[in-house]
Amino acid sequence: MKRLLEIENLKKYYPVTRGLLSRHVADVRAVDGVSFYLVEGETLGLVGESGCGKSTLGRTLLLLEKPTGGKIIYQGADITEWDKRQLKELRKEAQMIFQDPQASLDPRMTVGDSVGEALLIQGVDNEKERLERTHELLQRVGLEAGHAIRYPHELSGGQKQRIGIARALAVNPRLIVADEPVSALDVSVQAQILNLLLDLQHEFGLTYLFIAHDLSVIWQVSERVAVMYLGQIVELAERAELFASPLHPYTQALLSALNLPDRKQRERLLTGEVPSPAAPPPGCRFHTRCPKKMTICSQEIPTFQEIQPVHWAACHLYR
Amino acid sequence: MRKISQRLSGRNVLFLALLMALVGVFVVDIYRLEPLLKPLEYLYLFFALLLVFYGIYPLYVHRRLTRYYWERVKKHRLAVAGLAFIVFLVGVAIIGPFLTADPTMVNFKEKNIPPLGFSIQQSLYDVSSDKFITTEITGTAQHPLGTDDKGRDMLAMLVSGARVSLQVGLLATLIAIIIGTILGVVSAYLGGWADNALMRFTDVMMTFPFFLLLVFIIFIFGPSLAFIILAIGLTGWTGTARLVRSDALSLRTREFITAAKSLGVSDTRIVFRHLIPNVLSPVIVITTLSIPGVILAEAALSFIGLGDPTVTSWGVILQAGQRSLDTTWWVAVEPGILLFLTVLAFNFLGDGLRDAFDPRSQL
Amino acid sequence: MDGVLEVRHLKTYFFTRLGVVKAVDDVSFILRKGECLCLVGESGCGKTTAALSILRLVDSPPGRIVAGEILYQGKDLRRVSDEELRRIRGNRIAMIFQDPQSSLNPVFPVGDQISEPLRLHLKLKKGSALERSQQLMTQVGIPQAEERRRDYPHQLSGGMKQRVMIATALSCQPEVIIADEPMAALDTTIKAQILDILVTLKQSRELSLLFITHDFGIVAGIADRVAVMYGGKIVESGTREDVFDHPSHPYTLGLLNCLPKIAGQRGQLTPIPGTIPSLIEPPQGCIFHPRCERCLPVCTKEVPHEVTISGEHVVACHLYPGGGEG
Repeated sequence: MKRLLEIENLKKYYPVTRGLLSRHVADVRAVDGVSFYLVEGETLGLVGESGCGKSTLGRTLLLLEKPTGGKIIYQGADITEWDKRQLKELRKEAQMIFQDPQASLDPRMTVGDSVGEALLIQGVDNEKERLERTHELLQRVGLEAGHAIRYPHELSGGQKQRIGIARALAVNPRLIVADEPVSALDVSVQAQILNLLLDLQHEFGLTYLFIAHDLSVIWQVSERVAVMYLGQIVELAERAELFASPLHPYTQALLSALNLPDRKQRERLLTGEVPSPAAPPPGCRFHTRCPKKMTICSQEIPTFQEIQPVHWAACHLYR
Repeated sequence: MRKISQRLSGRNVLFLALLMALVGVFVVDIYRLEPLLKPLEYLYLFFALLLVFYGIYPLYVHRRLTRYYWERVKKHRLAVAGLAFIVFLVGVAIIGPFLTADPTMVNFKEKNIPPLGFSIQQSLYDVSSDKFITTEITGTAQHPLGTDDKGRDMLAMLVSGARVSLQVGLLATLIAIIIGTILGVVSAYLGGWADNALMRFTDVMMTFPFFLLLVFIIFIFGPSLAFIILAIGLTGWTGTARLVRSDALSLRTREFITAAKSLGVSDTRIVFRHLIPNVLSPVIVITTLSIPGVILAEAALSFIGLGDPTVTSWGVILQAGQRSLDTTWWVAVEPGILLFLTVLAFNFLGDGLRDAFDPRSQL
Repeated sequence: MDGVLEVRHLKTYFFTRLGVVKAVDDVSFILRKGECLCLVGESGCGKTTAALSILRLVDSPPGRIVAGEILYQGKDLRRVSDEELRRIRGNRIAMIFQDPQSSLNPVFPVGDQISEPLRLHLKLKKGSALERSQQLMTQVGIPQAEERRRDYPHQLSGGMKQRVMIATALSCQPEVIIADEPMAALDTTIKAQILDILVTLKQSRELSLLFITHDFGIVAGIADRVAVMYGGKIVESGTREDVFDHPSHPYTLGLLNCLPKIAGQRGQLTPIPGTIPSLIEPPQGCIFHPRCERCLPVCTKEVPHEVTISGEHVVACHLYPGGGEG
C-alpha cells in the first residue's frame, strides 16, 4: 500500500491589495495548512461547499498554482519547488479533469485535436500514431472514432466530459484529480460518467482525488473521505465510518442537510454564512456557526488528530 | 535543427521554405541594375504568402467550422451583398488592368469626353474664326466612363485605382492588425509589469501624429506608396492591441487554458495555438472595418497632394476632378461613388461578421 | 377540489430555423391552495418553459404558446390584456429565478429592488415601501435588515441574494409563487436554510408553490405533489408518496435508480442508457421508448394516454393499459 502522494501543511494564499500603491493588506487563505496522503489505487473524496478551497487545493496539488507554503511529496520526491522542465515530467503522471466540460475545451479546436495535443506534448511526434491513439482513447471513454472531428459545441455535456477524461488519460497518468467532474451534468448522464470513471480506475489502476460538493456522489465513488471547510480539512475517515459516525459538527451538519427521498427531518441546521477566507475567525474557524461551540473554540485552533483508528478530526470536543 | 524541423508541421516548413526563396530573390534583386520587382511588390508577395498559409489554409482545414460561420453570415443580406461587391472589386483589380486600355496613355484629342449616355456642351476657342464655338460632345462606347482632361480613359484609371486602393487597404491593415494582435495577446498573457509596459507604449503610439510623421517622411524621401502604407500600418495598430488584450485577458482565465497548462503545454504554444485563434473573431471584424478607413485615408492623402503621383489611385483622380465639378463632373463623381460603395460594402460585411461571430446572438 | 392555477393542454413551441422545437407538448396540471407542486425533470424536458409560459414570459420570437389554457381566477391568462397581465405579475403570481446573481440589478440597493413591486402594484410611497422591505427581509432571515437594505447585490452572498429574491416575490403577498430552480446555485447547507424558509412560508401564508427542479432531494423536502417531465410531456404525476414510494413510469424508475445514494456498495450505478431526444424530431410514439428497457411494440407507434393508477397517481405509459384521458 504505497503512498503515491503526500502533502504536508500545504498553503495557498492570494494577496489582497488595496489603495493606489497596492498595499498588501491581507491574504485570501484559500488553502491553509492541509495535510493528507493518497494511497496508490484508492479514491479519496474531498467534499466541501463552495469557497472552501477544494478546487484550489486540487490545482495547487498538481502545481498548476505555486504553493505559498508546505510540501508536496510525489512518490517520495519533494516536488514543491520543481521548475518547468521537471514539472513537464510530472504532467505525464498526474492529470486533471475539470468541472465545466464546455469551458475546459478550446472551442476552436476539434476535440480530436484537443486530445492529440496532450499526446503531442508528451512526445508522440508522429501524426499517424497520434490519430490512432486518439481514436483508441475516444473508444475507451465510450465515444466513437468519428467524434474526433467534431467541435465542442457539437457535442453534448456528457460527451464533452468524456473528451476531458480522454485527454487526461492520453498521457497514461497514475494520479487524476477530478474537480467536480459531474456537477455540471444531468442526473442520468452523471451516472454514466461516474461508472466510466470507476471502470477506468479498475482497468488502469488509477488513483483519484475526487472533489465534489454532493455527498451522495462522494459516497458512490470514494473509499476515504476528507471534509473541507474554509481552507482546512476538518475531518478525514473511511467512507462508511464518516457517514455513520461523523465526529466534526460541520460534517454532521452537512449530512443532516441532505434531503434524501427517504428522510424528511432536518435536525441540525447551520445558521449564518461562511466567513470570508480573507478574514477567517480566530481559533477554530467553524466556531461562528457551530451549534456545539465552547469557550475554547474561539481562542485555540484545534489540532488535526487521529481521534479513532484511521478517523481524523480537528475539534475541541475530542481532546 | 533536426529537432526543430521535427516539431514544426509540414505547413510551417513549406511556408519557411517559400519565405527563404522570396528573401533570396529580393536580396539578389537589390544588386541588379533593373530589379525584377519593386520593394513594395515584395511586401505584397510576403503578405500574400502569409495570408494563404495562415489565413486561407486554416479555413480549409477547419471546413466545418468555416461552413458553420458562413451559414450565419448568410443571414445578413447586406453583408452578403457587401461581400459580393468586394469579390467583384477584387476580380476587377486583378484582371481588369489586362482588359482595359492603358490608364496613363494621354490623348489630347479625346479629352473631356463624358460617360456613355451623357452629353455636354463644350466651348472651344477656334483660332481661325476668333470665336468660341460650342459643340456638343456625347459619350461613346469606346470610353464608356469618359475621359479626363488629358484624354485618359476613366474606366482604365478607375480599374487601376481599384487595384491600388485594395492593395493599400489590405496591406496597411494587415500590418496594423498583425502587430496589434500579437502585442495584445502577449501583453495579456504575460501580465504584470510586462503588460503595463506594453500598454503604456501603446498609449504613446496612440497619441503619435501619424500625419506629421508622413509629411516628414515625404519631405525627406519624397512621396511613395510604400511610405504611406508603412506609416498607416505602423501607427494604426493601437486600437486593435487594446481590444485584443481585453479579449485575451478574459480568455486567459478560461478553463481550457488551465487545462492546456496542466498538460504541460509551453507558454508560446498557448499563445499561438490557443489564445490567438480565439481572439480572431473580433480581429476579423476589426480588419474588415479598418480597410475602408485606410482606403479613405489614402484617398484623402492623395486628395491633398501627399499621395504618390506615380500611382493612379482614386484619390488622385478625385483630386484632379474636383476643380471642374461643374463641367467635367464625372472625373470626380465616378471615383467618389466607387469609394462610397467600397466603404459601404466593407462596413456591411463587418457588421455581418460581427453578428455571426457573437455566440450570444441567435440567428 | 378546484385549483388556484390550472394549466390545460399547454403547448409551447420554439420556431427556429432548424425546425420547430416542441418544448412543451400537451402539459396539464393543477396547483391547489397552500400546496407545493414540483415539476421535476432533467435539462431540456420543458419544465422551465412551462413555468415561463404561465406568465407569458417566454421569449417570443422564437417561442410561442400555440395551444392550451392557463386558468387563474376564472380567466385564461393567455387571453387577458397586457395591462391586466402586468397587474398579475409580481402581484398575484410572483416568480423566483434560478441565478440570483443575474436576476438582481447590480446598480440598485437591494432595499429598492424589493420595494419596486410594492410601489408599482400596491402604490406605496417610497418611505413605507422601504419599511415594508425591511420587514420582509427580516422574515426571510436576513440579519440586520435595516443596514442590509442599503447594500448592493454584489455585497451579498449567494444565499442572501436568493433571500432578497424571495422577499421581492413575497412583497405583494401573492397567491402563487413560481420558483425556477432557485437553489441550483447555492451550497448544500444554504439550500437547507432556504428550503426551510420556503416550507415555513408556504404553511404560514397558505402559499401555492410551483417548484421547478431537477434535484430529488429538494422535492422530498418540500413537495406535496410531483409531476415528472420528459421530452416536453408529463410522464408521471401524483402525491409525493405516490411518486417516490411507487414510481411507475420507467423513466421515473430509471431516474430514481441512477441517483447516487448513501447506502449500499461503492461502485457502479445503473444509468439510463442513451441521451435526451431531439425535440425537433421526437421519436414516434412514446417519446421515451428508445431508452426504455421495457419497450413494447405499441410504444413505437402510439403516444400513451394518461392512466390513473390510484387516487391522484397518474402515469402515461403503455405498460398500464386503461382507456380515456387522465
